[in-house]
Amino acid sequence: MAGSVDLHKISRFANLAIPSMAVLFFLGGHYLSFYFHFLTVTFLLLTLVNLFYLFIQKKHTLLRNFGILGQARYIIESIGPEMRQYLFANDTEERPFNRIERSEIYRKSKGIDAASAFGSQLNFDNAEVKIRHSMYPVDKADIKPYSLTFGEERGLENSYTITKPYMVSAMSYGALGEKAVRALSRGARMAGIAMNTGEGGTPKYHMAEGGELIFQMGTAKFGVRNDDGSLNDDKLRKLCAEPTIKMVEIKLSQGAKPGKGGLLPKEKITKEISELRGVPMGKDVVSPAHHIECVCKKTTVAFIKRVQDIAMIPVGIKLCIGKTSDFLEMVLEMKAQNIFPDFIAVDGAEGGTGAAPKAFMDGYGMPLLPALYSVNKILVREGVRDKTKIIAAGKLINSSRQFIALALGADAIYSARGFMLSLGCIQAMLCGNNTCPVGITTHDPSLQKGLIVEEKAKRIANYVHGLEHDFYEMLAASGIRDTKDIKIDQLYIPEDTALAGQIKALLNNPNL
Amino acid sequence: MNRSSLIISWILQLSIAAIFIPTAYFKLTGNPESVALFSKLGMEPTGRYVIGFLEAAACGLLLNPNSAVHGAILTLGIMMGAVIAHSSKIGFSDGVFGYIAIALVIVSSAIIFIRRKQIKSIARMLS
Repeated sequence: MAGSVDLHKISRFANLAIPSMAVLFFLGGHYLSFYFHFLTVTFLLLTLVNLFYLFIQKKHTLLRNFGILGQARYIIESIGPEMRQYLFANDTEERPFNRIERSEIYRKSKGIDAASAFGSQLNFDNAEVKIRHSMYPVDKADIKPYSLTFGEERGLENSYTITKPYMVSAMSYGALGEKAVRALSRGARMAGIAMNTGEGGTPKYHMAEGGELIFQMGTAKFGVRNDDGSLNDDKLRKLCAEPTIKMVEIKLSQGAKPGKGGLLPKEKITKEISELRGVPMGKDVVSPAHHIECVCKKTTVAFIKRVQDIAMIPVGIKLCIGKTSDFLEMVLEMKAQNIFPDFIAVDGAEGGTGAAPKAFMDGYGMPLLPALYSVNKILVREGVRDKTKIIAAGKLINSSRQFIALALGADAIYSARGFMLSLGCIQAMLCGNNTCPVGITTHDPSLQKGLIVEEKAKRIANYVHGLEHDFYEMLAASGIRDTKDIKIDQLYIPEDTALAGQIKALLNNPNL
Repeated sequence: MNRSSLIISWILQLSIAAIFIPTAYFKLTGNPESVALFSKLGMEPTGRYVIGFLEAAACGLLLNPNSAVHGAILTLGIMMGAVIAHSSKIGFSDGVFGYIAIALVIVSSAIIFIRRKQIKSIARMLS
């Protein structure tokens, strides 16, 4: 092609030039000065590498065709993510969280003013749910403080009351390193909010900080299992008697990989992990896709009852919605057996994870807003909305998105990544590699070194404080005096959003 | 990298270090033999210091598991230079150093081969 650079030609020239230079410098070294041999050696090494690329290795076509110049592509590509994030990506274009969203959290966490200037960088004439304000905002002092009691429906003696609508979503020791767990749970305690332990077995490091915990029981029931993966009643009873454990969450499915189990490879099972999770060493442990006890709606509801009877504290479920009809049937079964979980945590498909297959992370599950709307709607329609509480999860990292979730029927908010960001996460997306550069999702002591628990715990507390401040400001702006009055008519929902579609679908079909 | 090749690699690394520690020391302290050798090459004294320093650096790199492969690459470079020196200027007749240089080219290549996965640019490409 005229005018374009023929890289193939250039590389052929380079492949000839490199050994020629070696010869040239050898002559220089021999006749002029021995110092030339520094270059002789360099070019000899380059020649050797090039010969390896061109004639010996078979895996990379590019290197076989172009030799050492072809490597430039791999090197440049390997620094691509960093270059894009630092230099070229727009403030609004990164996923899962763009720079605007991240910096809001960083600012809240550091306690600096998070106000922004000149104007919003988001789109206003396209499909985004917005919040309606009131013509008559109320005084912040007139707003009834938020309070929510889990387990009040069953008249539980050990019910659990929260006074802030936020909770740290499930993150286990294992997925996170020790310091990150400690910083999170200490920060949560300072902020006065609860933290979910994740399915990492006995939450030793979570408990060590003395905060209030929601014990998550995954499908493998780490920490409370028998060898076949079924529930060990005594272990659960013992754990629930711990004063720091306030609630139990039965994880049915997870937004990032709904319907998918997992595998804990034997290499990862250290002595400590083996003890905390209650699994043998030297053997892979499978997390099944569902609880052994839960094979249909009947057994699932019965299992909830069984756990409630053992735990004597509020017991809820966490699930990602697939078919709304599945959920409807389960609600009908709950009505039939008159058993209700004390809360239902709805995890949107956009939820995060340490590791999940791409197909599941990208392709499976219903996004939070339509899922949350459906769950609330179905419970209301069946007349059992007052039997349980709804917790929403899935990218609820900033105040406005949290408010939208509350308006769609949620009673409380779960966030994991919001708190990770406030802990210093830079969205390097290396959570599954044990190489987290900011020491959060890694067990490498040299990477955890920089994470100072004391300092980061304060950030968590600041973040919660910032969110709460926004929350009451927004309530005032919306003219709402009681947090229970945040309703869907508070939202502006454009026609072509997924949420609008779901509202229409439920309206037209009572069987969904 | 399995256990046995790791052990072999460490034996090779330590043997290079065992050779480099005295040679670097002699070069940097101006031992008469070293001075004579580098005079023959016309590199006295700057070249002697540079090579002495590089040998010491290679030694340090080789003794750290994370940087051993880079130490081996540096060793290979220095020793290729030494082989050139012996074959073009000094000759192999006086002393064993010429043969040691050839041996170290082979030894360092072996370390590079065993630890090839630790070369970052290659590891990144193959992942």
